Amino acid sequence: MGVGLSDEENRKQFAGIVVPHLSEAFAVASWLTGNRTDAEDVVQEACLRAFRAIGSFAGVNARAWVLTIVRHTAYSWLAKNRPSEIVAVEDFLGEERLTEQCIGGWSATVTSTPETALLAKLDVRRLEAAIAALPLAFREVLILRDLQGLEYREIAEVTTLPVGTVMSRLARARRRIIGALRTNDA
Amino acid sequence: MTNDSTRVPDDDSQLVHAYLDGELDPAHAIVVGRKIAASPALAAEFEQTRTLRQALREHLPPRTLPPHLRSRIEAAVGMRRRWTRPSWQALAASIAIAFVLGGGSTWAVLRPAAGDRTAAAVLDGHMRGLMAPHPSDMNSSERHTVKPWFNGRIPQAPRVVDLAQEGFPLIGARVDVIDNTPVPTLVYGRRLHIISLSAIPDEGRGPAARRSINGYNVVSWRENGVSYWAVSDLGFGELETFAQLFRKAPTG
Repeated sequence: MGVGLSDEENRKQFAGIVVPHLSEAFAVASWLTGNRTDAEDVVQEACLRAFRAIGSFAGVNARAWVLTIVRHTAYSWLAKNRPSEIVAVEDFLGEERLTEQCIGGWSATVTSTPETALLAKLDVRRLEAAIAALPLAFREVLILRDLQGLEYREIAEVTTLPVGTVMSRLARARRRIIGALRTNDA
Repeated sequence: MTNDSTRVPDDDSQLVHAYLDGELDPAHAIVVGRKIAASPALAAEFEQTRTLRQALREHLPPRTLPPHLRSRIEAAVGMRRRWTRPSWQALAASIAIAFVLGGGSTWAVLRPAAGDRTAAAVLDGHMRGLMAPHPSDMNSSERHTVKPWFNGRIPQAPRVVDLAQEGFPLIGARVDVIDNTPVPTLVYGRRLHIISLSAIPDEGRGPAARRSINGYNVVSWRENGVSYWAVSDLGFGELETFAQLFRKAPTG
């Protein structure tokens, strides 16, 4: 706003830019907050923010713009309601190095066929639990890529991370899930 | 941990993920593909990650938007319901008008070129599809059912190909009106995304091109007297893959 658009004009813009992406906004909010009720609050708040800021949309990628606002709103919501979720990524990297030392690194534990088979017949609930257990910084990248199908540069736009960081976090997120599923099988 | 000679450098292992996601440029993709073939550890990571991606895509129940949330948001921003029909109809109509007029204030200053007008009209059809209860008027994944459905609705049925094996299942078909002409539109799926593919008798409209309109991507090309327009919220990478597969597929 502040650019002289009428409310009616704003609503028209909102209908064209935000509304088509509501379903996806809700899916992302659900995975970030971990439940539907909180996701509803986040999406509604995000929509109000988007409506107020509709005049600032640059007209390039509405989907990324909407998801950026949803993510930002989810972070504010988590900071207020579940501050323990917002943890610096460095903490996890240290922890990962420890784990790798214990199990001898990724490559030492991978053998192809039997575990691929285990993964293939896996239980949906365990998969969901493994996603929920991911630290937020890894979970968001995994959701945006593997569930919503965004390209790396779009994820970089939404999360304001460099593309290289998107790539490395995604690799880590997937490895953590595979590791968690494997541990449960043992 | 350095005494493990089979240990894969972290960079290579990350590139396996980018390779799998189709994010590498062709030259790097070839190099990484060779490394995967040569290293059992990388091959295992590739295989497991591919399986995981598939499980994530296919087995997780979707988080669907609750209808009451949609109404709550509409009310919150002052989009009132005027008819007993869902306000989506009104919304779709107003968007259609906005696009026909040139897309609202964002780009009303420019008189769009013919190709841009077609792109806007194709997107208009796509969005109406998204807002209707179903994106297609007839729903079938069987191309031998889809093709005859056009008979009597339009002068010539379009080319219909089956791309389910490649991850783009056929969902159905509808007829869109572009420049006052009814044109056939095929609807394909990609995970939870929808692709509309309109086939327009070619009258020398724009060349092969990609466009972005309000976050939707449009890829167009021309062959055999028909210009094809694919529109989706998918990224250009996947949308162009779809276009290539469609062009390469044998005609049925």
